[in-house]
Amino acid sequence: QDTVKGTVIGEDSGAIPGVNIIIKGTDKGTTSDFDGHYAIVVEQGQVLVYSYLGFKSQEITYVGQNEINVTMGEDTAILEEVLVIGYGTAKKEDLTGAVDMVSSKDFNKGPINSAQELITGKIAGVNVTSASGSPGDGQTITIRGLGSLSLENQPLYVIDGIPIDNGGVGGSRNPLNIINPNDIESMTVLKDASATAIYGSRAANGVIQITTKKGKDTKEFRYDVSLKRTVRNRLETVDVMSASEFKNLVNNVGTPDQIGRLGDSSTDWQEQIYTEQATGEEFNMSALGNAFGFMPMRASIGYTNQDGILRGDNFTRYTGGLNLTPRFFDDQLKVTLNVRGSYVENIFANRDAIGSAVSFDPTQPIYDSNSPFGGYFAWIDPQTGAQRSLAPTNPVASLNLVDDHSEVRRIITNLQADYDLTEHIKATVNVGYDESNSNGRTITSDQMPTDDQVGGLRNGARTTFSQTQKNKLFDAYLTYENTFNDVHSLTAVAGYSYQKFEYDNYSYDSEKEEQGNTAEFIDRSKNVLLSYFGRANYNYDSRYLLTASLRADASSKLNPDDRWGYFPSFSAAWNIHNESFMDGSDFFNVLKLRGGYGQVGNVNGLGDYNFLTRYTSSQSTANYQIGNSFYQTYRPEPYNEDLKWEVGSTINVGLDYAFLDDKVSGSINAYIKKTEDLIAFTLVDPFTNFGNKIDKNIGDMENKGIEFAINYKAIDTDDWSWNLGYNVSFNDNEITNLPDEQNVGGISGGTGNNIQLHREGETPYSYYVYEQVYDSNGRPIEGVYVDRNNDGVINDDDRYIKENPYADVLMGFNTNLSYKNWDLSVQSRVSLGNYAYNNVASANSYERKATENQILSNLHSDYFNTGFKNITQRGLLSDYHIQDASFFRIDNVTLGYNFNSVSGNTQFRVYGSVQNLLTVTDYDGIDPEISGGIDNNFYPRPRTFVLGLNVDL
Amino acid sequence: CHDDLNQTPIDPDSTTEEDVFANASQAKGALAKLYASLALTGQQGPAGQPDISGIDEGFSQFSRMLFNLNELTTDQAIVGWGDPGLPDLHGLSWSSGNDFTEAMYYRLAQEVSFTNSFISNAELLADEEVNQFIAEARFLRAFAYYNLMDLYGNVPLTTEISTELPQQASREEIFNFVEEELLEIEDQLADSGANEYGRVDRVAAWALLSRLYLNAESFIGTPRYNDAVTYSEKVINSSYSINTTDANGNGSAYDELFLADNNTNGAQKEFIFTLNFDGIQSQTFGGTTFLVHAAVGGTMNPAEFGINGGWAGNRTTKSFVNKFVKTNAELNASIGPVSDWGIIGNSTPNGWADPDTDMYEASPNVFKIFTELTEGELKFRKNDDWSVSFGGENGNLIPDGDNIIVETTGRVVITLNLNNNTYTIQSIYESLPDARAMFYTDGQTLEINDVSTFEDGFAVTKFRNIDSNGNPGSDSTGDFVDTDLPVIRLAEIYLNYAEATLRGGGGNASRAVNLINELRERAYGNNSANITSGDLDLQFVLDERSRELYWEGLRRTDLIRYEQFTTNQYLWPFKGGVKDGVSAPTYRRLFPIPNDLLTINPNLTQNDGY
Repeated sequence: QDTVKGTVIGEDSGAIPGVNIIIKGTDKGTTSDFDGHYAIVVEQGQVLVYSYLGFKSQEITYVGQNEINVTMGEDTAILEEVLVIGYGTAKKEDLTGAVDMVSSKDFNKGPINSAQELITGKIAGVNVTSASGSPGDGQTITIRGLGSLSLENQPLYVIDGIPIDNGGVGGSRNPLNIINPNDIESMTVLKDASATAIYGSRAANGVIQITTKKGKDTKEFRYDVSLKRTVRNRLETVDVMSASEFKNLVNNVGTPDQIGRLGDSSTDWQEQIYTEQATGEEFNMSALGNAFGFMPMRASIGYTNQDGILRGDNFTRYTGGLNLTPRFFDDQLKVTLNVRGSYVENIFANRDAIGSAVSFDPTQPIYDSNSPFGGYFAWIDPQTGAQRSLAPTNPVASLNLVDDHSEVRRIITNLQADYDLTEHIKATVNVGYDESNSNGRTITSDQMPTDDQVGGLRNGARTTFSQTQKNKLFDAYLTYENTFNDVHSLTAVAGYSYQKFEYDNYSYDSEKEEQGNTAEFIDRSKNVLLSYFGRANYNYDSRYLLTASLRADASSKLNPDDRWGYFPSFSAAWNIHNESFMDGSDFFNVLKLRGGYGQVGNVNGLGDYNFLTRYTSSQSTANYQIGNSFYQTYRPEPYNEDLKWEVGSTINVGLDYAFLDDKVSGSINAYIKKTEDLIAFTLVDPFTNFGNKIDKNIGDMENKGIEFAINYKAIDTDDWSWNLGYNVSFNDNEITNLPDEQNVGGISGGTGNNIQLHREGETPYSYYVYEQVYDSNGRPIEGVYVDRNNDGVINDDDRYIKENPYADVLMGFNTNLSYKNWDLSVQSRVSLGNYAYNNVASANSYERKATENQILSNLHSDYFNTGFKNITQRGLLSDYHIQDASFFRIDNVTLGYNFNSVSGNTQFRVYGSVQNLLTVTDYDGIDPEISGGIDNNFYPRPRTFVLGLNVDL
Repeated sequence: CHDDLNQTPIDPDSTTEEDVFANASQAKGALAKLYASLALTGQQGPAGQPDISGIDEGFSQFSRMLFNLNELTTDQAIVGWGDPGLPDLHGLSWSSGNDFTEAMYYRLAQEVSFTNSFISNAELLADEEVNQFIAEARFLRAFAYYNLMDLYGNVPLTTEISTELPQQASREEIFNFVEEELLEIEDQLADSGANEYGRVDRVAAWALLSRLYLNAESFIGTPRYNDAVTYSEKVINSSYSINTTDANGNGSAYDELFLADNNTNGAQKEFIFTLNFDGIQSQTFGGTTFLVHAAVGGTMNPAEFGINGGWAGNRTTKSFVNKFVKTNAELNASIGPVSDWGIIGNSTPNGWADPDTDMYEASPNVFKIFTELTEGELKFRKNDDWSVSFGGENGNLIPDGDNIIVETTGRVVITLNLNNNTYTIQSIYESLPDARAMFYTDGQTLEINDVSTFEDGFAVTKFRNIDSNGNPGSDSTGDFVDTDLPVIRLAEIYLNYAEATLRGGGGNASRAVNLINELRERAYGNNSANITSGDLDLQFVLDERSRELYWEGLRRTDLIRYEQFTTNQYLWPFKGGVKDGVSAPTYRRLFPIPNDLLTINPNLTQNDGY
């Protein structure tokens, strides 16, 4: 026996502390100290294994060396392989569920404002759609189609182990604005219930785990600085009549009075409300290293400032983050502290201008020196001197005279301690706190055109709000990990989780106060979620893998008898590539078959006390006069004592593969997800309750789909590298049980019209329309629809289902090409079979609109195709307006150049990027990608150019 | 920590049953809701926390829906809006999923549930004041059931809150329940006039019984005209009286009933049951806010109605307008003898061809004719000959002068005054002698060609948001209206008495004539239009009800009672969706049970025909 010494360093020459050095085949070992030194007693011929998370393991045979110094190479491949799966991590190879990870090096590049954008188009079955083209705006993520009719459809976001509250806080555009995308190390998407069931009731729509970048044990601190400059260009605007076209129309169809209202100007109102170019900049800085020798840390700050293309729109965000990962007692105690804060300032340009710019008379000027409203042209009723009550407000005035600001502060922090009780048992306690706090105010100038009469309240208005949301978390769990006889590995987790959500909203309205009404409103609620969970993973020789989990959740939203839900999962996988019969074949690197079943519950989005009989008192605008007094009234609220968990069950089978030396890799998944006891706000016999609708468990829904993903490393040489990635998913969503149909999808034009329907046997939100009749030239005939049930009258019974807003097929295609210091990446998507309802055209393209209400209103150019005279319910609900909105879109193209080290370890990278480069579609509206499918007053997505610089030193 | 799962509301607007029914003064807030749920639409006002879901909140207000179901389906009203299901109402073609027929059912059923819950909770208080609340709650429940029975016929009868799906009762069972309840609470309600404004007293129970009995034959096939007379008499003999205070001094005390201060200007003496509105504290997009706004459009000046703008929806048909106007032949017959003078021209019925349209001699050298003019010109001439003729302009006659250009078209009265060589051409609708004929005709046509055009059909100016002094209501923005809405007022009971008497109810015929003349004297400002017992027949009473009570939510029921609602005995413009009107199937006398409810509650059977 000899004692051998040595030092472990990284490729950057820095010492690496904490490296495990084990004598192969024994349980003897040691770890390197802070300076990377180690010493170990070893026998001749024994093999030393050096391993450390994030680095390639090395094996060195002891043959009597005096000193063994080791340089460890970073292993990005291995880094990717470790996935965060909820109350633990697992190697990709050991997983049994449908889980995908995208790490920072594969993130989408370019003008990324929010975390969701990092993975747009990257993962099969994950659809990310931005709500609009406004900076910082929300993103809708759906994983494998809609899971619920009226409850939350968004996945659960877990940031460093804290499930965050993704109910939007007032004034905030996106719950993930808390996190600077630059701070994210990886995003892991848990798609099937066998993977998500450990999160139980919160995970009905999948889980997105966000892992932030952490400090490293490197001796030297490293700094990273990035700068970005963005320019957003307006693309299309709504196709409306020009001033001269409009003038012709009014001259042809108007009465002398109406013709007399024409102005002499030629104003392109859309031109007026959008800027050609909106600029922005971004600055990020981070430092990571090991402080005081025992405290790996990372600190970051970020600043983003982005104007929107709607004039005056602005999003400014400051973020700061600190991660500390100290270890104590010879690494027996590992502590992680994350503190993450953001401060966001929003200036919301008045979006009413988007709609009014479409319909405002183009022959009128912006300014009118006779106008009593700040010199802005307005449709004034000469009898009252006020704006006509049905007239739209001058779009420029509504942008300039309304000031809408908000500030959102949010802090998410958690402290996690992992303590090794024994060699095999680890105890973890995680305490988290998430608070967001927002303030906002809307100030309407006293110059703002209004139909309030002179002498009324024409003195402007001010509304304010402040909201606070708190989410407190306490998790405690034990992890047992052991290997028996080299081949049986068992990992088991058991724990407890408690979460409390509190909401406190306040708002104020100056106009109400001036009228003597209650002007301050308070809205408060809270709910509690309490859970026990357990999971066991069994691994036989890395060939056969079994996972079982069970979570018991209790929510304060449900009555005590139905409060507890139990959500189990089972899954298994077979690593065929590890079988001995595969030994002879080196074709496959990975060939894994997976199958699993799991259940998850959902009450997210449900009201907090629906099972209790509550009385709501009236506000001062809804009191009732008795005698000479006005009495506050008490209304019993509709209630449902029988509410229970909405439960989704998924069966998933999948195959992971990699072959030709990992050149080709990917996965295939097929799933059926059944959601039962679907909660919907639905009809109840009002003789039995205090209203006609309650939240009730009423129906079932099914999602079926297939996902396929493939990555191909086409070229991988010293100078060249070329990767191609492609994914495709097919999803079919059907309501399988729904006793009463539900009209949904409110549209503008008339009052109370709904274009969509939930019906058994159909996709949710299917369009429910009349069938338009066309003449021999293919022009729609006004007011003529097909009598589909042949009963001689056209009424509601002749409506039918035509298509739905959801794509049948979604594809993502991305490629990275690099040559020496150059790199080029392209990200694109295809969506097939998604249909949109063009509400802008349907509500604005009938002739009478031009002259009605004693004003003039511009028409959508679709009028030239239809010649429709009047708006009717049936005209609005005609299938003429349902259009195929399939599209191909190049989301992003980025070209970058990496400078070789200028001095020391300093690295520079310069890149340029274009977002939203190209969209190919047959859809007539301004953008085919409309979340929910109803295209109305859509804030156009701009094309964005970015120039960026990263410095790593 | 498990205890933490038992959370209770922490919102300051949320209260528990124990708090609401802690004592009489708290319970009064719950009673106020029972009244408010017929006037308002939710707890926020004008919109935001609706009572009824799935329909535009403003649409879901009780009296607005009553207007839609009982007036819009008749000759009295037509609307130009194209909201889902709305045009089908006047067209008598609603489907069993019609938004308005559904929402009214929900509103009334909810009122039943509210009252059931109130009654069972309030009974536990065992308090004298609360006992009167309970009687009022029972009245409101009976009122809800009266309407359910009238509109839908067979509905579930529930008297307590239970999640068990109720069985459907027959129309007769509902009728009997309403009757029994009203008879039972009659003595528990306050004495006539002894309650606070806005709360009902026992006269309301009698009045609703009068209405119930009058329609008994129509509802359940059993005539109860004697009872109708009995309970009408009780009402007539009560402390309520017909308003005769002409507070704004415009010559009639009728319009005061529908002004912003009708709770104080004298009109309140006539109101037996009202829905109270206030522009500041009781805001809704239904109620009188709807009645005033929706009727204003075209060239009407919103300020004259105390509002900031019209919604340009509701008008009326010529069938109703003509209830105030005799035929031209009748009118001409009352002028005097046929004269030698006549009118000729392309604006007159015979054009420029002979013979002239003869005028009648009203007094020496003054000639008149009631006729129909179209756009064009005319001249006056004598003996169908050009030897003596007048043209003219601006009301002045010029011998052999230029053709007179006709500016006022439609039904007009033309006066030729040879004493001072002047002429007038006046629309007969401009100043009808009956003050109840409140029409706006400028820019409006009597004839309706396009239902969706506001200018087609006369506008109705009955409801206003200005007070007797001409000042607008309390909401200075002009959005919400103060005017209260009488749901039952004494004039109706007068007419109930007259009709029940004529239908053999044993009333006094000459008293019936007097009661009607009391209404007509108010309408005309004098006794010039009083009737005699010879004039009084059933059709006259129906027409008089129409003139007196239009747009107050009674017309459909009246027409059904007279077999004129669906039949071809009486056609009005766009009845059945056809311009000249057609009959509709008899089953349209009842509205359908909401179709979706049939799947929720299998105990329900749909009304025949749907």
